Order: sequence, then C-alpha cells, then structure tokens
Amino acid sequence: MKIRNEQNFWSGVMFFAFGLAFVVLAREYDMGTAQRMGPAYFPTILGGLLAALGVVIAFTALGGEKQADHRVEKFHFDALGWVLSAVVAFALLLRPAGLVVALVVLVLISGMGSHDRNFKQLLVLTAGLVILVLTVFIYGLGLTLPVWPAFMRD
Amino acid sequence: MELLSNLALGFATALSLQNLFYAFIGVLIGTLIGVLPGIGPIATLAMLLPTTYALEPTSALIMLAGIYYGAQYGGSTTAILVNLPGESSSVVTCLDGYQMARRGRAGAALGVAAIGSFFAGTFATLLVAAFAPPLTELAFKFGPAEYFSLMVLGLIGAVVLASGSLIKAIAMIVLGLLLGLVGTDVNSGVARFTFDVPELSDGIGFVAVAMGVFGFAEIIANLEKKDKREVFTSKVGSLLPNWSEAKQAAPAVARGTLLGSVLGILPGGGALLAAFAAYTVEKKVAGASADPPFGKGNIRGVAGPESANNAGAQTSFIPMLTLGIPPNAVMALMIGAMTIHNIQPGPQVMTSNPSLFWGLIASMWIGNLMLVILNLPLIGVWIQLLKVPYRLLYPAILVFCCIGVYSINNNTFDVYMTVIFAVIGYLFYKLRCEPAPLLLGFILGPMMEENLRRAMLLSRGDPTVFFTRPLSLTLLLMAAALVVIVALPAIKKTREVAFQEAD
Repeated sequence: MKIRNEQNFWSGVMFFAFGLAFVVLAREYDMGTAQRMGPAYFPTILGGLLAALGVVIAFTALGGEKQADHRVEKFHFDALGWVLSAVVAFALLLRPAGLVVALVVLVLISGMGSHDRNFKQLLVLTAGLVILVLTVFIYGLGLTLPVWPAFMRD
Repeated sequence: MELLSNLALGFATALSLQNLFYAFIGVLIGTLIGVLPGIGPIATLAMLLPTTYALEPTSALIMLAGIYYGAQYGGSTTAILVNLPGESSSVVTCLDGYQMARRGRAGAALGVAAIGSFFAGTFATLLVAAFAPPLTELAFKFGPAEYFSLMVLGLIGAVVLASGSLIKAIAMIVLGLLLGLVGTDVNSGVARFTFDVPELSDGIGFVAVAMGVFGFAEIIANLEKKDKREVFTSKVGSLLPNWSEAKQAAPAVARGTLLGSVLGILPGGGALLAAFAAYTVEKKVAGASADPPFGKGNIRGVAGPESANNAGAQTSFIPMLTLGIPPNAVMALMIGAMTIHNIQPGPQVMTSNPSLFWGLIASMWIGNLMLVILNLPLIGVWIQLLKVPYRLLYPAILVFCCIGVYSINNNTFDVYMTVIFAVIGYLFYKLRCEPAPLLLGFILGPMMEENLRRAMLLSRGDPTVFFTRPLSLTLLLMAAALVVIVALPAIKKTREVAFQEAD
C-alpha cells in the first residue's frame, strides 16, 4: 500500500497515538455511569473518538500516487534546537543566575538559529533588550523576577 | 433608552484617564507587533497577555481588546506595504493592496483601510451594544443540555468555516478538548493525566499552549523560510483616497461592514471569514468591468475586506461576552484572560460586572478611533519597523514570551511546558494541522465535560435529553446541517477554491 498524502497519513498516526494514550491513561480512573460520570468517562469517549478519527485520516491518505505537495518536508532541527535550547537555558538560569544573565544567554543562543546571523548586531541587541526589559518589566510594570545572581541578592 | 444609559456607563468607564491610557497602549503595542510579518493577533495577544496581569480586570480587558484591533490593523499595513500577510485575515488585502502600493497608491490603500475599519468598528460596536442584552436573556434560559449542544455547534462551526481538511480540524478540536481535561477533576478531585507532576494538577497553562503552538512554533517555522521582504518605501503618497477612489470605496465599505458584522457573530466566524467573503462579494458586484481589475489594485478589494474583518473582529465579541463561548481562537484567548483575572465568562458578567461589560464595549469604539488617529501619522514608523531584519526580531520576541510565561505563576515549569508545546506545534506545522481549533477545544474542554455531566445527571443518564429539548435539538440540527452542507460536493469545491486563493 502506498502513501498518497504523507502529511495526512502521519497526522492520522499522531491523532491515533494521542487518542490511544488518553484512553489507556484514563483506565486508572473511575469510569462511573452515564448518570454519574466518573473522571474517566469523558476522556475515554474523546480518546476513542480521536483514535477513530486518526485511523480514518490515515487510511484515506493511502492508495494512489504520492502527491508531491503533501509530502512532509524536512524537519529543520537546527533552528528548533537553537531556539528551544535557548529557552530551556533561560528557565534553568533564571533562579540561580538571575534575569540579566538568563536574558543574555537566551538572546545569544537563540540568535544562532538564523541563517544570516550577525554577531555584532546580536551583541547590541542583547544589551538593548536587557535595558528595555529592566526598565519596562521590572521598574515599570513591577514584575517580581530575580534580577541578579543568587549570591548577590540579600 | 436603556441602550443609551448602558453606553453612557460604558463611556464613563472607558473614558477614565487610566482606561484611556491602557486602551492607547494596547492599540499602540498591538499595532507595533502586528506590523511585524509572521506574527498574527493570536501570537501577539499570547505574548502581551502577561503585561496585563498587574492591571485591574477592566483595564486589562480594554488593553487586550486594543492589542487585538491593533494587531489586526497592523497586519493590514504589512499586507499592503510588503505583500506579506501579518495574519490570515489580511491575506486578501495583499491581493489588491500591494498592487495599489506598486502603482504608487500605497497611501490611499492604507487610508481607505483605516477609514473603512473605523466605520465598520463604529457600526459593529453599536451592534454589540444592541444585541448583547437580549442574547444574555436568552443565555439565562439555557440549561446544561443547551450549553453542551451550543458548544458542539460552536466547535463544528469553527472547523467548517476554517480552511484546510475538515476531519483533521475536528481531530484537532478533540485533541484540544482532551488536553483541556488535564488536571484535577472538579467532581471527584482525581488528578487526571498529571503523571504526578504537582504543577499539572491545575491543568496545563493556557498561555503555555497558546504561546508554544502559535508563538514559538511560528518562529521556528519562519526561521526555515528565508524571508525575502520588499518594502515599498519610495512613495506612500497621500493617505486620502482621491475622489474617484472614494466613490468606489464607500459602497464597498458599507457592504463589507454589514457582511462582516453578520459573519462575526456566527460560531467559527470572525475576521478571517469576513474578509474572504467580502472580497468575493466585491469581486462579484464589480463584475468584469472593474477598472482596474481585481487583483491589479482595485481599491474596493481593500475597502471591502478591511471593513469586514474589523466588523467581524468586533461582533465576534458578542458570543464571547453573552454566552461565555468563544467563537474563534482569539476570543478563546480573551476568555483565558478573563479567567486569569477571576472573572467567570458567561451571561452573568453583564449583570454582576456592568462597568466592565459596557466599558469594554465602549472602549472598542474608542480603540478604533485611536487606530485611525494613531496609524495615519505613524505609517513612517511602521515602514522603518518593517525594515528590521527577522534575525533581530525573533530573539526579542522570545525574550518577551519567556518573561511573560514565567510571570504567570512565577514558575519556570510553565516555560518548560511552552517548550513542549512548541515541539508539538512544529509537528502540527509540518503535518499541516491548523492549530486554532486546538486552542478552542482546549478552552472548551472542561466546560463541555461539566455541562455534559450535569445534563446527564438531570436526565438520569438518558442521552436523548439533547434531542428532546427543543432548543438543544435546534442547535444540534444546525451543527449537523453545517457538516452536511460542507460535505456537499459543489460546496466542497468552492470552499477549496476559495481557500486556495489565500495560499
């Protein structure tokens, strides 16, 4: 069997997997009755429905020639990696190292994700953003974020 | 006149110095971010939501509404000047707006978009004020069965009118509903699908979902498309349309306003559908004799859709404010914002919180007025902004997103959740699964379960209750009719063609 529409086929697989996962996980909880629904009732119905929809979507994507415009394009893991690792680094650093350090790391790492990166501009941007965030969010809006590293706070 | 006294209360609230200030800030920042290509109103709202936490609820909602119109209008500016739709509802504005810009009439296109939007906004605000009270009355007659059926209708309507595959959109809704159920079950106190993570017992953060799927995933997707922008800076020209342009545009504005107002109220309607429908209508009305032809810079192709999308954006507040049910993803975000401020959306808002309710409505008009005043002189600034390369924009966007997500609960857990949803959102993007229905389902999940449970409890477990109560039956029949109509071969074809023009 050939896959005609790759995008839809894999969407179907994804929906099926999500649906199944919810049904299986919901088995831990009480089902109840139609009159007194337990915590598992609605998720089980929805999970079953989602899995069924997934099967239909996947099967209707089969058969016939492969459609070029419905092929799943290559995943760009470099952009994804730079952006998301920058965000994770921000979250990890925020409490121990403070906002300023976390911001610098966030901007510098995420800036690597662009195909036309420019270090000089990135450094200027970092400085500008740190000043902007401190004035607007910390002093202006009064958000309570740790600004400086833990050892410098009292 | 009750309407007048209500509006008076609204204006008294909205015209307070503080609220005027926040409306202004909202419109300004909304436009600023909306102008940036690739960031739609949903991402803009999700990103700026945290800036409103510290405000009191009325000011916060007024500011958010301002951000929404601003983002909407900013998207049109980008569409006209760069031929890149900042958001999906300005896709059709690109068609003729950009062509006008190339002929040196960018100013007229921007001017007519602003004036048309203002006219539409004024009309739609009055409509919201007039329709909200009777609909609220109706909403009080709704039992759980009716609410459940209404949500089914709303969700079906949302996918029927959306672009792309119908069945995939329905699956996205169901997935959204399921994700909405994560957390402590209110009836039994059982923590569902939390994997013993204490932070998940309150449910998945709604900002984390919106920002991950719309904000972060969009950034990653934009990074892999090497953006080529051609900004029309040489000659914007006079912002006022000339006499013959004005004569052509005026009726188009009126038609767009009416059409947009009606379509905005429908479940699943709102700005996007309104803009598409208005463009099609203008093309039909003008016929083959249009000069210049449509797609070659006809001013009606800007005036109609721009008025319609603003009217639709406005009237889509009606179901949100009266029934507490979001007709589209933007309103889902507004509901999320209300919940963050401890306001339970629904028909009781109007009676329990009249100054918030009418203040928000009055601020819609004020916001629209500000848009006109603000945008016409600031066009030059927006053009400068459009020249900023994306490599400098997205780290800045990430910074605001990260600070925003963290400040919801002052907890880094939400930041990690956003990262997870960014990965999921990127997967959706690669598989061409439209994420807006997911957000709608996510908001409605707990409400739907609650009403289903109550309805079934009242009927002693008899599921026919949804069909025996006339109001509920009507709503379900409407939902079924929508699915059937869309599945009809003839309609299916036109729908595909209509949405293809957008790509």
